[in-house]
Amino acid sequence: MKEFLLLLPELFLLLTLAGIIIGEIGYRGEKIRLTSATALIGLVGAFVQTLLTYQYGATQIFHGAVAVDGLALFFKLFFILLALLTIGTSVRAKEIAAEKRAEYYGLVIASTIAMCFVASASDLLLVFLSLQLMNVLSYFLAALGKKSSYSAEAAIKKMAFGSLAAVLLLYGIGILFAYTRVLNIQEMHKVLTAAPLAKDIGAVVFMLIFLALSFQIGAFPMHLWAPDVLEGAPTPASAFISVGSRAAGFALALRFFIIVFAQPVLSEGEWTPLGGFDWTKVVALISGLTMVIGSLLAFRQVGAKRLVACLVVAQTGFLLMGLLVLDRIGIASLLYNLVIELFALVGVFYVISFFVDELNSDRLEDLKGMLAKRVPESIALILFLACLVGVPPLPGFIGKFTLIGAVISHQWYSLAAIAIIAIAIGTIATARLAFSLVGDFRKQKEELILPDTARTVSLLLLFIPMLLAGVFAQTLLSWAVQSLNFVIW
Amino acid sequence: MDQKLISFMIFLPFIGAILQAFLPSSNAKGRILLSSWAALGSSLASSLIGIALVLSMNTQIADPQAGEQVPWIGAYSISYDMAVDGLSALLVLLISIIFPLLIASEWKQKIGIRGMHGLFLVLQSALLGAVCAQDLFLLFFFWAISVLPFYFLIGIWGGEKRESAAFRSVVAAVISNALLFAALVLVYYSVDPHTFSIRELASGKLIGKTFTFLGYELSVSAVAFALVCASMALRAPVWPFHGWFTHVAEEAPSSVFVALSAVTVPVAASLFVRLSYSLFPDTVGQAALGIVIVGAINLVVGGICAIAQRGLKLLLAYICLAEMGLILIGIGSLSSTGVVGAVYQEMALGLGIAGFGLLSGVMDDRTGKTAFLDAEGKPGFGGVATKAPSVALVAGIVIASLLGFPGLSGFVGHALLMIGSYSVHPSMVIISGTAMVLATYYLFTMYRHIFFGKLTAESSGFTDLTLREKAYFLPLVACLLVFGIYPKPFIELIRPTVLTLLSTIK
Repeated sequence: MKEFLLLLPELFLLLTLAGIIIGEIGYRGEKIRLTSATALIGLVGAFVQTLLTYQYGATQIFHGAVAVDGLALFFKLFFILLALLTIGTSVRAKEIAAEKRAEYYGLVIASTIAMCFVASASDLLLVFLSLQLMNVLSYFLAALGKKSSYSAEAAIKKMAFGSLAAVLLLYGIGILFAYTRVLNIQEMHKVLTAAPLAKDIGAVVFMLIFLALSFQIGAFPMHLWAPDVLEGAPTPASAFISVGSRAAGFALALRFFIIVFAQPVLSEGEWTPLGGFDWTKVVALISGLTMVIGSLLAFRQVGAKRLVACLVVAQTGFLLMGLLVLDRIGIASLLYNLVIELFALVGVFYVISFFVDELNSDRLEDLKGMLAKRVPESIALILFLACLVGVPPLPGFIGKFTLIGAVISHQWYSLAAIAIIAIAIGTIATARLAFSLVGDFRKQKEELILPDTARTVSLLLLFIPMLLAGVFAQTLLSWAVQSLNFVIW
Repeated sequence: MDQKLISFMIFLPFIGAILQAFLPSSNAKGRILLSSWAALGSSLASSLIGIALVLSMNTQIADPQAGEQVPWIGAYSISYDMAVDGLSALLVLLISIIFPLLIASEWKQKIGIRGMHGLFLVLQSALLGAVCAQDLFLLFFFWAISVLPFYFLIGIWGGEKRESAAFRSVVAAVISNALLFAALVLVYYSVDPHTFSIRELASGKLIGKTFTFLGYELSVSAVAFALVCASMALRAPVWPFHGWFTHVAEEAPSSVFVALSAVTVPVAASLFVRLSYSLFPDTVGQAALGIVIVGAINLVVGGICAIAQRGLKLLLAYICLAEMGLILIGIGSLSSTGVVGAVYQEMALGLGIAGFGLLSGVMDDRTGKTAFLDAEGKPGFGGVATKAPSVALVAGIVIASLLGFPGLSGFVGHALLMIGSYSVHPSMVIISGTAMVLATYYLFTMYRHIFFGKLTAESSGFTDLTLREKAYFLPLVACLLVFGIYPKPFIELIRPTVLTLLSTIK
């Protein structure tokens, strides 16, 4: 019974999924098609259920295979909110054909279930299975744009990288299992603290698993899928994949690295690498490379979606800084940044999706002069992007500050310097996009298109929470810390 | 009530800017007027509060006054901490005076008037916030906001090559922000408990602190000071980082360039004084000579380049560069009179440059050009004084103030700077005196070419100032006179703060 209660959000999502499928089967060309409403109501329900689950405290169910703790609940709320925003913003997207819509919602909700399991899995087999389920669903999502050949290419590309990552992960898990003879990560931690892995084996296992996870989070050197997939996939799906896949990767990385590869030190809320292999240096190197490469790539792009995709890669590099310091403050700032990024990225892709519907192109030169024609959308796009790269006064800046602060307080000065440089490059890359939106004010005739109220309202619904996340940064950060306080490490 | 006034001053323009976006968008004349009046109204309201705040300040106190402090991000001890002190008082006045005038001067802008007014209002908020912030994070926050409005103002309303000018300016500004941010984070994490509060960081908290970077042990104070110097040099036109500034000068519309050169440059200078004097007193003591030398180079380079100019806009840019050099000499003199002079001159320079810039805007509006000599060196204008006596009068007063003629605000600043610096660096003062003579030469040459001489075809249709133009030149000229004839209360405002800051520098 307890298992059932604690898994209510996932079960509720499953029910919603069933509702969508049954509704679609029963659809015979009626005027009203309730798929969007079903999906949205189901997600809101699951969100509330997750909030209610907080009262039970941190527990493990199914013999320790699933942990329902602060981290899991934080990410469950995050993924459900992501699905909610994704579906909410893609209701009118033309890139998803009307007959594909139910399929799209189904895939999004099924992915959300998989992501929720990724966030709470503490058994290596469940980790692997839920991660693969999520990835397989995201290949379908990427391929949903029937009209464009890029979409199919994106799906294939993601699948190729995904299979490679899956194999690497499986190798890593295999070696770990061979050494410890357990699959539960808490028990594995006990075994490993008693008899740590030798330095070289530790290094190999860590690299295998980290490479697999860097596919999820889009970190160097497994970031190559990101620009192609996020460009090729239908834009609303790009938003879901870019945030969801990466956040799931980070949820897993937090649990995995801290439990399996680290041990708590005497002072509360800090960890130190387990065994002889100091993997934080590897993560620092990858983090620095990822943010510089992402920002530099973004600087050279000519397509808006690709540009954003490269900024997303850079963002991964920044987020890794919160992980490698191995303390509660760093992880809290990582979570804070993920929340900011959720609104910012969904907003960015929402506006780009609208532009793609309108112009059939996302190339910067085709976007020229959109500011004069589509005022609220263009301004929103500029603000969302500025928030993503961390330009003051938007909350992304506070997020970047907390991350850089986290590494500086652990004496990673060079990484902090690189991060600041990367932010500067990213800002200039964003300025290029902003600039093409401005275009040439003078040569155009005044053609005033009245802003669409519904779209403006939904942009505000994305923008205002994002802004509030900056104004009430303190509340959000302390919520993140509180979430971390009741995690089964 | 008193506590909230400063926030009203800072955020009223911002609210005005948001109003610009939400007032009904239509090209009907009444609606445009409505939004323009809303812009001017919010800007003026903020200005009046600012002027009232500064005039009601107690002149005996060195500490920040009329402050408001609210914790913002407690976990990082970041607070919303705003106050006015001797360093910021005159800049609050400057910003308060200039921005309503800028909005008034762009009253008849044809392209995207609401956007332009909105961006000016955002700038007003951002710069007021940067000047008043007593918390480093907040200071950076507002200072960094001021980058994007300029980008759009130059990029949209600029001249032929506006795109590259806007891009160059944003690149310079972004690099500058990154450097400043690095400095602030470094300072924040080198003190324990970590803090951003300027009050707590002041009085040599950073002396003797070091950190290890790539195996070298470096002094926090020295590195952070170098970062702040480089950052501010990129925003204020300081040789050798002034390339973007002159480029912008050519392309930006006059009003935008006024906002850049007459407001942002003094604000950058003032932030430099605030940050370096209060945070790094030991390093400033060692680097003072360097600051003076850079200042002298600025003065000479600016002066020599100004002689060669044939257009008002570039001339203005180089005057700004030269005057910035003078201010740097004052800052580096470390004598109380010199520093007070530098702070006073920040404002006097702002007013003078604003007058000059707005005049070049008037020229541009009437004739479509600002070059007073053509490529062969023949005068482009001529005899304007007979056609437009008020323009000639205003221009005369502005130029006289820029040159430091007695009775005008420039005189007070120049005199204090020279007197204060002479005891420390007499050779520099001789150089600056020579540069002033140069300035007299090129400014009066310009004046002669435009206002005297034969009436040319271009200037025969030159009309005098309209009522609207008189309305915005009048306060400016009045301020130039007031600050020149009766500077005592304002100097008394600056003095205690400067003396306190200097007392920590050995």
